[in-house]
Amino acid sequence: MKKFIKYTILFLFSLLSLTQLTSCSKDNSGAEINLSYQMLSDKTWYLDYSITGTSKRSYVGQSTYFIDFLKNKTTKDSDGLNGTYTVEKVGKFLQIHVQAKTSSTNTVEYIYNIESIGSQNLILFYTLTGATIPTKFYFSTNK
Amino acid sequence: MNCRFLVLFFLLMCQVAGLNAQSTTVMKDTVSSKGQKKFLAFKKVAAANVVKFRKQFTKTWNKAFVDFKDNDVMLMAGMNFSKQNIRANDYTSPFIYAVEQKNVYKPGFVAGVRVDGKYKDKYPYALAFTLNKYAAGVNYKETKPVEPFLGDFSNFKATEQSLSLNMTALYKKLIPVSKLIPIADSSKYKFYVVAGPSLDIRLSRQGIDNQVNQNYRKMFLRAHLGIEFDNNSLYTIFFHYKQSLHSVTKSPIQTGLNNFDLGMLIKASDLF
Repeated sequence: MKKFIKYTILFLFSLLSLTQLTSCSKDNSGAEINLSYQMLSDKTWYLDYSITGTSKRSYVGQSTYFIDFLKNKTTKDSDGLNGTYTVEKVGKFLQIHVQAKTSSTNTVEYIYNIESIGSQNLILFYTLTGATIPTKFYFSTNK
Repeated sequence: MNCRFLVLFFLLMCQVAGLNAQSTTVMKDTVSSKGQKKFLAFKKVAAANVVKFRKQFTKTWNKAFVDFKDNDVMLMAGMNFSKQNIRANDYTSPFIYAVEQKNVYKPGFVAGVRVDGKYKDKYPYALAFTLNKYAAGVNYKETKPVEPFLGDFSNFKATEQSLSLNMTALYKKLIPVSKLIPIADSSKYKFYVVAGPSLDIRLSRQGIDNQVNQNYRKMFLRAHLGIEFDNNSLYTIFFHYKQSLHSVTKSPIQTGLNNFDLGMLIKASDLF
């Protein structure tokens, strides 16, 4: 019986070692950005709340700001800005970089940091020039 | 032993190459006959080496597994019902998922082969190799709020569908049911309790949500327990349970994947 147990352990250990050796680690640097694009694109995101420190503003049930992120990496928002967007990882944060043009063809470039992103919820933040507390923007796909 | 095996391997390679060469090269009669002679001589040597290797291998095999007797190859198939219990703990990620609880055992399927035999003519054992398609239910033991949004969220998204190769070594214990149930004919109907370690190797890729941190482990070890009913050696019905011995996801996420298997075993020799 001891021999049987010994063989079983030896067999399992060999398999374990073999699969550990063959399972090489993959470079997943692009996976985070791909997933972000998948969650972000082909949706209209409506601003539900904005919070700066303890000050909270709700736009739920009101006419609110919205932005479209399309699969072809173009964007359009309720303020009439049209342009392109990219998702990048800078430091430890994912960022949305938007290059847009106003209706009067002025170029506007802005960057939002992504705090959280889901298939139906998006939290962005940025710190205004001169401010110390960041403003958080809560978007959802529900109108 | 290794050298012998390598030599044999190269000889076989040469033989295969020789076969190809013979079918594609057009030569003159004299050259062809010389080549054929050489080839025949080589073929003889190769065949002798194969026989020698086979004998050696059989000898070594029988020596190593001298106590494993009465082996029967069985084919097994059935359904599995699996569930994942998840604790994300301190896992953080920029990705959030609205939690949708599916605290149920969801059905998948299992199919494979099993070798049943006896160790030292006394202890029944089984070695099973199966492919398992899991469609596991997901039970998040803890969630977190993302205020002011309503609902429960998690930074970890469990993969429900997966395919794995399972290897199990089981010790079988015959239960004397005839003593408990007078109508049971112990010569025809046998009940076994089986137990042993079970190793799963994930064959399917991780979903896009888990590719960022490669959250799921490639392999996981589980305890395998079950009961089996052998109907006069015609077929065996089994009901097994596999309990996670460790998390199937990497730290700090703790995920236990447990499942029931319900199916049937039939001797391969009865079918083929």
